[in-house]
Amino acid sequence: MTSGFGLGLRTQHYNDFLAEPQPVEWLEVISDNYMVDGGKPLAMLDKIRANYPMVMHGVSMSIGSINGLDKEYLRKLKTLERRVEPMWVSDHLCWSGVHGRNLHDLLPLPYTQEALQIVKRNVEQAQEVLQRPLVLENVSSYVEYESSEMTEWEFLTEVCQATGCRLLLDINNIYVSSFNHDFSPSSFIEGVPVESVTQFHLAGHLNKGDHLIDTHDHPVCDDVWDLYRQALLHFGYVPTMIERDDNIPPLPELIAELDMARAIADDVLNEKKVAL
Amino acid sequence: MKLAELQTDFQRALFDTECKGADWISESARGLSARNRLDIYYNAYRLRLIDVLLDTFEHTAIYLGDDWFNQLAAGYVQSHYSTYNNIGLYGKKFPQFLAEQLPEDKEVSELALMDWKLRRAFDGIDSSVMTLDDLQQLASEGNTIRLQSVPTLTTCTQHFNTLDIWHAINQDQTPPVVERLTQPIDILIWRKQYSPHFRSLSAIESAALASLASADSLEAIGAALENDFPDADVATEFGVILHRWLDDEIISNVKRGRRD
Repeated sequence: MTSGFGLGLRTQHYNDFLAEPQPVEWLEVISDNYMVDGGKPLAMLDKIRANYPMVMHGVSMSIGSINGLDKEYLRKLKTLERRVEPMWVSDHLCWSGVHGRNLHDLLPLPYTQEALQIVKRNVEQAQEVLQRPLVLENVSSYVEYESSEMTEWEFLTEVCQATGCRLLLDINNIYVSSFNHDFSPSSFIEGVPVESVTQFHLAGHLNKGDHLIDTHDHPVCDDVWDLYRQALLHFGYVPTMIERDDNIPPLPELIAELDMARAIADDVLNEKKVAL
Repeated sequence: MKLAELQTDFQRALFDTECKGADWISESARGLSARNRLDIYYNAYRLRLIDVLLDTFEHTAIYLGDDWFNQLAAGYVQSHYSTYNNIGLYGKKFPQFLAEQLPEDKEVSELALMDWKLRRAFDGIDSSVMTLDDLQQLASEGNTIRLQSVPTLTTCTQHFNTLDIWHAINQDQTPPVVERLTQPIDILIWRKQYSPHFRSLSAIESAALASLASADSLEAIGAALENDFPDADVATEFGVILHRWLDDEIISNVKRGRRD
């Protein structure tokens, strides 16, 4: 089990990581950015990987697609996995397009028995190629479907139990979806299997008043920090990272934000020990 | 509603010329209407792809200005689906689209094609490169030498002063007035170490590269150049070209020499 706190590796910070050791225990790389033929991306990846453990996080597997998974995509992902030797490989519980077209978005699924069977089939296909459990992340969403038969956390639980896949809980995404769909974020946290949770994401979002947009371009807000405290109390220690995808600040700002996560985790987990 | 139907309908709704809403989305008691919720995905789809085009075609976007570029990019997004997992490949047909949309401003598509090829060279296939020592070694072994270019090498032909426009934009200067060239020029594009490079080609170097691509031997390339450029000092010029190819790192170190 990996300990410590991580950051998403972004091109803006390559030089920081190459210049000197940074106070980060591991890095998460966006798999898709390195599923290329060659050049600087892969060269930088290799150099930085030499000094940091990594996890791989994808955005294009489309695990909920009715068409099944793209075998060429899986082949390239496996090639990258062999190169990086990551601690785990994650993607999102979503779909991104059908009939050979790609919408390049993380679209929510209806939480139905039929969708569950399709996701199970696709997760098993991915795990067969990767030869390891897939880690699935909950997405932020703005729509819910008339056809849904269960909650998102019930659906995730079923997928984990049926396939042995694991969970990357994005605390910000739970918060954003709970606001947009008016459910209790605590219900989500308490509703997924503790033993399946492998990683936490923390990120910022945009508050539009009557809805929230998951932009990943802001610092983590107080409400999400509070939810992180709740998650730590419920799950105990889970490897945690700050995920910033846009409006990316200098590395020291992200490390300061990561230090905040460290301090909260120390605080909550020490309190939990005392209480026990 | 079956999942296949929902995903097909959802995708169709995002491709539509306007966001019309969908009855398979739940209306919620508070917050946005179902139509406005779908609108978030509808707009995000377009913004994301336009952002990718802006990133890929950086010089083209500066040349056209934000409004004109965004209008053209929006037209491309509406008429072209992405079939790629790698979103960076989405702009593959954008130079051709610009050529069709702007038939009187062909320098724009030439600029876009240059942006595209430079971006593709950036993360193209790696290759070790041949040095002068490697070449001399091959020659000393008495082999017939056939060279192979690095995989990122490509060319494009320009009929306008597009190269000058590209340089001006790159240096944050006002681009020159567009002019049709008296003779089209070929531009060589490749990656040297981590950085995409480009330069214009003389007619004789262009012909030599075409022969190189056909896997002709060095002797055959020289003979073809003698034939095509009877007034040139081919032996000298080809020697200079060969040295430059090695300096520029455009020759792969894949051994192509063999005894005939």
